[in-house]
Amino acid sequence: MKFLEDIILKLGAVDRRIIFVLIGLAVLIPLLTPISLPVRETPTTEKFYDGIEDIPKNSKVLVSFDYGPSTRPEIHPMNVGVLRHMFRNGHQVYISCLWPDGIYMALDALEEITFKDDPDKDDDKPDNISTFDIKEYEDYILLGYRPGAEAVIKGLASDLRKVYTVDANGNFIDDIEMMDGIKNLNDFAYIYSGSAGYPGTFEWVKYGGDPTGVPMSSGTTSVQVNEVIPYVQTGQLIGLLAGMPGAAEYEKLINVPGIAIQGMAAQSFAHIVIVLFIVFGNIAFFIKQRRDRKY
Amino acid sequence: MLLKRYIPIAIVAFFGALTLSAWFIDNETIETFANDDATQFFDIIAAFAVFLGALNLLKMQFIKVLKKQSGWIYSAIAIASFFFAFIIGFFVRGAYFVGEDIYYGEKSAIDSLISMDFNDDEIWSGGYIVNENLYYSRDAAENAVRELKLFSPVAWGAHVQTDGSLFQWMFQYIFSPLSATMFALLAFFVASASFRAFRARNFEASLLLVAGIIIMLGRVPVGSLISSWTIMYILSFSIGIGINSYVKNRNIVLGWILGSCGLITGFGMTMGWPIEQPAIFFLPALQEWIYLVPNLAGSRAILIGIGLGIVATSLRYIFGLEKSYLGE
Repeated sequence: MKFLEDIILKLGAVDRRIIFVLIGLAVLIPLLTPISLPVRETPTTEKFYDGIEDIPKNSKVLVSFDYGPSTRPEIHPMNVGVLRHMFRNGHQVYISCLWPDGIYMALDALEEITFKDDPDKDDDKPDNISTFDIKEYEDYILLGYRPGAEAVIKGLASDLRKVYTVDANGNFIDDIEMMDGIKNLNDFAYIYSGSAGYPGTFEWVKYGGDPTGVPMSSGTTSVQVNEVIPYVQTGQLIGLLAGMPGAAEYEKLINVPGIAIQGMAAQSFAHIVIVLFIVFGNIAFFIKQRRDRKY
Repeated sequence: MLLKRYIPIAIVAFFGALTLSAWFIDNETIETFANDDATQFFDIIAAFAVFLGALNLLKMQFIKVLKKQSGWIYSAIAIASFFFAFIIGFFVRGAYFVGEDIYYGEKSAIDSLISMDFNDDEIWSGGYIVNENLYYSRDAAENAVRELKLFSPVAWGAHVQTDGSLFQWMFQYIFSPLSATMFALLAFFVASASFRAFRARNFEASLLLVAGIIIMLGRVPVGSLISSWTIMYILSFSIGIGINSYVKNRNIVLGWILGSCGLITGFGMTMGWPIEQPAIFFLPALQEWIYLVPNLAGSRAILIGIGLGIVATSLRYIFGLEKSYLGE
């Protein structure tokens, strides 16, 4: 028994570099050799999916890219999934960004889902599930980034054309046909924000969704979930995509498995390693405490 | 005193009260001010604040470098990176379009449009072809390309996000990987920190520890592979350890372990060991409950607290009691 306790004590005092190596391996191995794990939909993700399904077909929707490359692994799969879901239902998508890097994320997401004709294939067509034959100024418009955080949202709620006089390509909003009939947020059927912090979900709810009454939802990082979840219960957000697991659940619901589902194995193993370390650390802590009391 | 104190306070009080009144008074002018004008003022100030922030960053980093304070080399890198991003953002447009092809520089775009004139014997005639016209000097060919406007640079402003611009390249291949690396490092620090700091020292810490483990396992797919019955057995042994610590009677502990495990096994055999039943011990269901009940209650309390705090602080600004923005 003492031998076992000594081993646990040694494990309890393990060098942090060993922890780093084990975490690295726990993440790397499942990514290199994909392992399939069952993804189970949670009610908040199902609510989110149903919320988008409930938008009348061929509506105008606003999608905001409020994140950057650091949180890309969590938020990007959600936004790609949301764009697929929107285009599948024939909606016109208006893309805004509250983060300066959001525009690059939006361009990447659009590139991922835009159908590219392969000259080597004769019957090459978009499947309209994962890739779409979408065109700028017909199916989507990239409004771009504006500084000002909540003031931008408040401006959009009042008069979009005062916030955006030109789009991301420098074309005048008034000259773009797709912008006809769009004055403010009330002219959209739905608002979605893929958010990694400030400005993001909170600001959209407070200055966008609530004052206008336009239904909205959001995808957030895992650490934001416990702050945002009250808005889901009150109905101010129609469901929520919570971190990478939320993105994986959503990929399953829209039936386009992607990087989030692939990443679930890595996240699962990393969590198991962390939990094991916590358990070993605590056992070692109790053994040490007991020994200290004895002497 | 008047200029530095009373006038700023009066301005803040007036505009604060005016903006607040827009929620209560049905007046179009006031509403337009609060919803449009004030937000545009804010947007303009926010845009200038970016410059102010950049200047402040430069000032701090330059001071560090000039005084050779510890870590000054990182400040030097920060300054160099700042000017690199500044120059390629404001002065290097890039992204020259030739048809659907994009080139980083004007020269490479022009080169792509000029071809050398070879005769049937593959011997260069000394001329250059631009748009099927023959030119006898390189300069003439380049001028022709420019005059015919055979290539077009991307518009200023749009260049930062267009493929083929140096800024976009910098974002894609320098900023993105560095940013993602910084964030990814968090996983390692979280693992190391939780191993060292997550200790069941008292009841509150134990509660946090157990909730943390349930959330960590319940949120990921592997949590749904752990049967409720496994959790019940673990719980039975954990309670046994707890009883042992307090009662210190082996017979009672053995009785508890045998009794509870027997009960769990009996129920399991009767029910056919369904993985999700009883739901109260199924990790994904348990984590969902933690999120939607105790966590929700706590978060809502915090949100209400923040809301009341904002109301109080705003009123302090309007009444001139809060003067931190004056540097007091």
